[in-house]
Amino acid sequence: MTRRALVEALRGSAHRSLVDGGGMVVSIAFYVVIVGTLSGLWRVAVHANGGELAGYSAVAITWYIITSEAAIVSVNARHIEDIGADIAQGTVAVELLRPASVLGVRMATEVGRGLPKVAALWGAGAVVAAVVAGGPPRSATLLLAAPSLVLAIIANLLAQHAVAAIAFWIRDAGSVWFLYLKAVFITGGMIIPLELLPDGVQHAAMLMPFRAMAYAPARLAAGYWEPMLFVEQLVWIGILGVVASAAFSAGERRLQVVGG
Amino acid sequence: MAIRARRLTKVFETGRRRARRRIEAVRELDLDVAAGERVAYIGPNGAGKSTSIKILTGILHPTAGGATVLGLTPWEDRRLLARRIGTLFGQRSLLWLELTPRQSYRMLAAIYGLDRAAEQRRIAELGDLLEASGLFDQPVRSLSLGQRMRCELTACLLHDPEILFLDEPTIGLDLVAKQRFRELLVRLNEQQGTTIFLTSHDVADIEHVAKRAIVINHGEVIYDDEVAAMRRTLLATKVVEVGLVEAIAAPTQAGVTLLEHSDQVLRLVVDTNLTPIRVVMDELLDGPAVTDISVVDPPLEQVIGEIYELPAR
Amino acid sequence: MRGLWATLRNAFAEVVAKPLALAAQMSVMMINDFVWVVFWVLFFDRVGTLGGWDRNSILLLQAVLTTAGGLSLGLFTNARRIGAMAVAGDLDAVLALPVAPLPFVLLRRIEPVNLGDLAFGIGLFAIACNPTPARALAFALVVLASTTLLTGFLVLTGALAFFLGRSESGELGFHSMLLLGAYPVDLFAGAIRILLFTVVPAAFVSAVPARLIEEFDAGRALALGGAATVFAIAATITFTLGLRRYTSGSVWTRA
Repeated sequence: MTRRALVEALRGSAHRSLVDGGGMVVSIAFYVVIVGTLSGLWRVAVHANGGELAGYSAVAITWYIITSEAAIVSVNARHIEDIGADIAQGTVAVELLRPASVLGVRMATEVGRGLPKVAALWGAGAVVAAVVAGGPPRSATLLLAAPSLVLAIIANLLAQHAVAAIAFWIRDAGSVWFLYLKAVFITGGMIIPLELLPDGVQHAAMLMPFRAMAYAPARLAAGYWEPMLFVEQLVWIGILGVVASAAFSAGERRLQVVGG
Repeated sequence: MAIRARRLTKVFETGRRRARRRIEAVRELDLDVAAGERVAYIGPNGAGKSTSIKILTGILHPTAGGATVLGLTPWEDRRLLARRIGTLFGQRSLLWLELTPRQSYRMLAAIYGLDRAAEQRRIAELGDLLEASGLFDQPVRSLSLGQRMRCELTACLLHDPEILFLDEPTIGLDLVAKQRFRELLVRLNEQQGTTIFLTSHDVADIEHVAKRAIVINHGEVIYDDEVAAMRRTLLATKVVEVGLVEAIAAPTQAGVTLLEHSDQVLRLVVDTNLTPIRVVMDELLDGPAVTDISVVDPPLEQVIGEIYELPAR
Repeated sequence: MRGLWATLRNAFAEVVAKPLALAAQMSVMMINDFVWVVFWVLFFDRVGTLGGWDRNSILLLQAVLTTAGGLSLGLFTNARRIGAMAVAGDLDAVLALPVAPLPFVLLRRIEPVNLGDLAFGIGLFAIACNPTPARALAFALVVLASTTLLTGFLVLTGALAFFLGRSESGELGFHSMLLLGAYPVDLFAGAIRILLFTVVPAAFVSAVPARLIEEFDAGRALALGGAATVFAIAATITFTLGLRRYTSGSVWTRA
C-alpha cells in the first residue's frame, strides 16, 4: 500500500511538472541566462590564467557550471518555507493521518517534480555549453554525471526536510531557506568549483553535505572519472535520511502532545 | 445634474488569440442623478455595477459614450474630480493596516491640501457624525470590520466631497453593522447634503438607504424609479417562515399564500399591498406555538425577474 | 509634495511598527549580500585581475548595486509590483486620489527585506571602498542615477502588463536585471554586451557607475545620466498610457 502510494505521488508530480509548459520555459530561460553569464565569467578567468585554473580548462569549467546550476535550480529551495508554513498552520497534522509516512510522500512528490526539470535544464545547459565552449571533456563521465544528478536532488531535498523539520520545534522556519541556499552556493561548489576555494574552506566543505548536492555531479560532468563521489553521495543521503526521519518523527510526537 | 451618463459602454477583451472574448460589461448606459439624491444602483454579480462606478470615478476609460460628473469628464479630469468626490470601495482600503486611522487621515489631509486646523476640525466632526471618534487611535488591524468601515467612511469624507460613491460597502458586515452603516449614510445625506450613489446586490440597501433605485442587469439599466413606487410594485411580497412547537392554523388574510404547512414549519408569502406584514405577524405570534420567525425580502433574482415582467411604460 | 512626503512617512511608520521583524529581515538580506562579497573576494584572490577589474573595483560594484537595489526594491518597492498591481486591480486606491499616480504608487510601500541591501551597500562602501569625501559624493550621485535607471526599468517592464494582460513581464525584467547587474560588464563581448547596455541596461546599474567613482570620465557620466533619463521617461509614458487600458481586476472577477 505504502509503496504504491509513493510511486503514484512521484509519477503524478512528474507528470504535472512536464505539463506545465509555460513554467518550464521560464525556468529554462532563467537558467540559460544564469549559466551563460556565470560560465562566461569563469571562462574569461581561465583564459586570463593561461588556459587553466586548478586543473579546469575553459570547456571543463563550463560543463561544471551548467551541471552544478542544473542540480540546484531544479529543486525548489523555497520548499523549506512551504513546509514551515504548512506546519505553522497545522496542515501537516492532516497529512500525518495518512498511512504512508509524511516524509516519504513529500520526498516522492518533490523528487517527481524535480526530475523532469533537471533533465530539461541539463539538456538546455548542454546545448549552451556546446555552443559557447565545446563538447563534453569526457563523454564517458556523463554516464556517471546523470545518475549523480538524481542523487544530488535527493540529497538536497532530504536536507531541506531535515532543516524544515526545525519548524516543528520553533514554529517559524521563515527565512532559513535563504541562508540554506547561500550555504549551498559556496560550500556546495555551485558557483565556484571547490578546488578553487582556499585550503581551509575546502577542508570544511569536505565535511558538509552540500557538496553532494552540486559539486559531485558537476565534477563528474567536467570530465573527472571519480566514482567515489557516487559513494559519498549515497553516504550523505543515508545520513540525511536518518536525520530527516528522526526530526519528522520527533515533530510528529510533539504535534500530538501539543494537540496540533 | 450631478451625474449624467449617455450611452456609456465598456467592453473588456480577454483571452489569447483564438480564445479571445469580448465582454460587454456596460452597454449603452443612460443615467441622470441630481445633487442631493440617494441612489441605490442594484444588480446581480457581473451586472456591470462596479464597472459603471469605476468609469464615473475616472478609474476606467469607457469604450464608447460619455459621462459627466459635477460637470467634469471623469477619465479626463480625474484629479480635478477626485477633489470633489469621495469613493469607498468595499474591497479596497484607503487605510494603512498597521497604523491608526488618524495617521492615514494625516496623509490624506496633506494630499487634499487641508491645513492642520481644518484637518482636526473635520476629523472631530466626522467622528461625531459617524460615531467613530473612539476608533481613530487604534491600529486599523485591531478593528472589527464594522468599525473599520466607519473609519474608511471618515477617510473618504475628509475633504467634504459633494458626491459619495460606494461600491458594495456592506459586504462582510453582520446585520447590525449593516443597519448602522445604512443609517449613517442617510444621516450624511440629510445633514450635509452629500449625494449618495451606492452599488449593491443586497435588496435591503434599497429599502433602507435609497430614495431612488436603479436596477442594472447585463450592463443595461432595466429599472429606474422612486423606491416608494418600487415598494408597491416589486418589493411588496415578503416570505414569512415560522418554526412551531405544535400545529397552528394558517392565517387567511387577503394576499396570504401558503407555501408549506406542517406541525413544525409554516411558510407563507404575504402581499403587503393587501395585508400589512404586521397584521400577519400579530396573528402568528398570538400564542405560545411559535419558536422562531423570519421575514425575508424577495431575493434580487426574483425582483429582477418581476421587472422583466412589468408592463412596458 | 506635502502629500508625497506624508505618504513616505506613513510607509516608513508601517515598517517600523514591527521592529523585530524588520531587524530579522534586514539581517537575512545582509547575510545574502555578504555571501556574494565572499564569492567575489575568493574569485579575485584566485584570479588576480580580470579585464581591468580587481577585488577593489568589484567591491565597489557590489556596493553600488546593493545600494541602488536597496533603494529601488526597498524604498520604491511597488516598482517591481506594477505588473501584478495592474492585473489585480490594486491601483484603484491611488486613482481615487487627486494625485499623479506613479509617484504615489512608488512611495506607497516599503519592503523591509531590501532595506538590508541598502544598509549593506552603504556599509560596504564605507568599510571597504576607501570613502574619501570626493568618492562619497561620487557614490551618492551615481547611486542616484543608478536607482533612477533601475526603478524606471522595473516600472517600464511592469507597465507592459497593461498591454499584455499578464504580469510576468515585470518579474522577468526584475530577475534578469538583478542576475546580470552583478557582473563587471567588460567581461562580456558581442551580443551580450550590447544587451547589457540597452534592453536590459544592467551595465548602467552597477559596472558603469562603479567605474565612474574610480575615475571620472565625462562620456561615461553623460551616458549614465542619459540612460537614467531615457528609462525614467519611457517608464512614465508607458505607465500613463497603460492606465487608459487598466481593467481594475474586472476581467478576473467576471470569471
